[in-house]
Amino acid sequence: MKKRFGLYFMLVLMLLISAACSSDTNANSGSDSKDDVLKVWSFTDELKEPIKTFEERNGVKVELTIVPIADYPTKLKPVLESGVGAPDVFTGEIAFLKQWTDRNYWENLSEEPYNADQLSDDYVDYVFDLGKDSEGNVKALSWQTTPGGIFYRRSIANEVLGTDDPNEVGEMMSSWDGVFEVGEKMKEKGYSLFPDEGAIRWFSKGEDPQPWVNENDELIMTDAKLNYFDHAKKLRDKEYTAFAPEWSPSWIESMNGPIGIDKDGEEGEQEATGETEVFSYALPTWGLHSVLKINAEDTAGDWGVTNGPSPYFWGGTWLGIYSGSKNKDLAWDFVKMMTHEEEFLTDWAKETGDVLSYLPVTEKIKDDFSEPFLDGQNNYTFFLEQAQKIESGIVTKYDQQIDTLLGAQVLEYVDGKKTKEEAVNEFYKQVKNAYPELKMPQ
Amino acid sequence: MKKLDYKGYFFIAPFFAIFLVFNIYPVLLTFYYTFTSYEGYGTPEFIGLTNYIRIFSDTYFYEAFFNTWKIWGLNFALQLGIALLLAALFSDLRFKIKGLGFFRAIFYLPNLITISSVAILFSIMLDWRHGSVNMFLQQIGIISEPINWLNQPVTAQVSVALILTWMWFGYTFIVLMAGVSGIPGELYEAALIDGANRWQTFVHITLPLLKPIMLYVMITSLIGGLQLFDLPMLITDGLGAPEGSLNTMVLYLYNQAFRYNNYGYAATIAYALFLITVIFSAITFKSMYRKSVKE
Repeated sequence: MKKRFGLYFMLVLMLLISAACSSDTNANSGSDSKDDVLKVWSFTDELKEPIKTFEERNGVKVELTIVPIADYPTKLKPVLESGVGAPDVFTGEIAFLKQWTDRNYWENLSEEPYNADQLSDDYVDYVFDLGKDSEGNVKALSWQTTPGGIFYRRSIANEVLGTDDPNEVGEMMSSWDGVFEVGEKMKEKGYSLFPDEGAIRWFSKGEDPQPWVNENDELIMTDAKLNYFDHAKKLRDKEYTAFAPEWSPSWIESMNGPIGIDKDGEEGEQEATGETEVFSYALPTWGLHSVLKINAEDTAGDWGVTNGPSPYFWGGTWLGIYSGSKNKDLAWDFVKMMTHEEEFLTDWAKETGDVLSYLPVTEKIKDDFSEPFLDGQNNYTFFLEQAQKIESGIVTKYDQQIDTLLGAQVLEYVDGKKTKEEAVNEFYKQVKNAYPELKMPQ
Repeated sequence: MKKLDYKGYFFIAPFFAIFLVFNIYPVLLTFYYTFTSYEGYGTPEFIGLTNYIRIFSDTYFYEAFFNTWKIWGLNFALQLGIALLLAALFSDLRFKIKGLGFFRAIFYLPNLITISSVAILFSIMLDWRHGSVNMFLQQIGIISEPINWLNQPVTAQVSVALILTWMWFGYTFIVLMAGVSGIPGELYEAALIDGANRWQTFVHITLPLLKPIMLYVMITSLIGGLQLFDLPMLITDGLGAPEGSLNTMVLYLYNQAFRYNNYGYAATIAYALFLITVIFSAITFKSMYRKSVKE
């Protein structure tokens, strides 16, 4: 009897546990099938405001999950692979966008009822193109475009170059020779052209725009990319930079005024330790709002933006619908509002200054912009012009990592730790190690 | 006759279910991945022993192996040295140092800081031109020019080893003190009466009796040390700069898996790391154990 009681007890216990589990899953699937909760995943909080607007308009609830960008692909991948707890809408950053467009994570927007192909003329070419998979199907759309330029200090330009007009400064900086000429003039007056050598990587990338990897899985090393080594070395050797690498404390400090510098630091023969002010920074659209405005409070109004030797873009966020979502209609409504709804986008652009990729709106509003931080310059038209010059179809899923590996080797060459040949060969070796399927040049 | 009662199995079943699902299954799955080329999505492609052949000729893996040993070795030697010295001081009957609890807490404090804060703190302190370390050393005249600590292989490795020492000597000290307090006080008193000096007491009483504890410290530190990852990851570019000198085995594994999406090869590195850990733990255990048996 006792034994039997124990057995019954166990059975009851197990039933209870399984009941608890199943009621749990019921509750979950219940909220899944509800049509009025839209789950959105992203890596920044910039969707917060649009989501509020969307909720108010449609009377629905949107659940935004923000995952820091370093963990974002790692967190999202298992969710998308298994479909458990997956979002209805999720964003992708340029760094991993191309890895995802060719998966079936995002709904094919070229199909009915979305027909996104019809929108192609309404967007900045390269932006629309980046959201496509290798077969040309649209998988994700973006509301913004993120071309870059050179932000420079007007007071220094006036003093050294005799003008602070963006067109004239841009003219001077439009070739490598011009860049080095400006660098020399800056040096004579004790200024630094760029914070560090890494600043020019974008121009090397944009000079002869070709994808890193072609359709035969071959790594393409262009002369422009090889010249990046020489240009960077020249900047260092001629002392046109201020040893303030991007995102370092001194980089940020240098935006506000002079920073201490000791240009011969490592090599011995110490010269008098002095100070230098940095003339210009290569930054994209978001650099104005997220970097300069925040960090350069003392120099606000003393800035201008102009072009470098070649057009480039840096970053960007795309938005798509999860292919396994049960809430596709609502999800598409959100994507529509975010990427091609005139009323919302007009408000959004005016409020945040974000440079949009949706041309019907930008055509209407671009002439009204005047940025006090840039002494009233209309950065909006400038960036839109730059965006139109960007070659589309050259981004591969390898870019982010290969660019990083290249940058590291350029730095070793610039630091004098390796010869150019050694650095280039080490670069090939590292790319091959990271992506064994690729064929190296030579 | 007594019938076997199987009810007990029900009670231990939950543990084994969880253990199977969250430990055994991933371990076996990882082993399967070592024979595949797997990007992290889709189906893994079976490629036989290719990953194993690759790892034997992979110079980056060897580099990572030696880097890990160099950094861990220096760190462990210093950590154990400092902890032993402190343990000797605090256990000395003649010094009668007060406030053991207070110092224990102070020494252990660095271990409580999250590693990312430590990495940021030290990367700012070690900054070439603006860091307080260089400024301080220049001010007191030890160096005349700033040293770019994190930009040269040797100084970068030494810096990381020193930071790890700073973080972990308190923990080792606490463990050693626990061992010291297990040594009967009569032994020290007897030594004192016999006229043994501090050094003799330390070498002939404290050290031999601490051996089991030191073995424990060494093996746990070795297992932790071979998995060295967070600090090298955070303090420079996450790729092992400068010149690959901070490329440790787990950092290499991480980059192969999550940066380059070579999950199959990363799984192979994981198994290589496991083997290495087992081998070296066995060697450590064997050598220390044999010595203490002989004595």
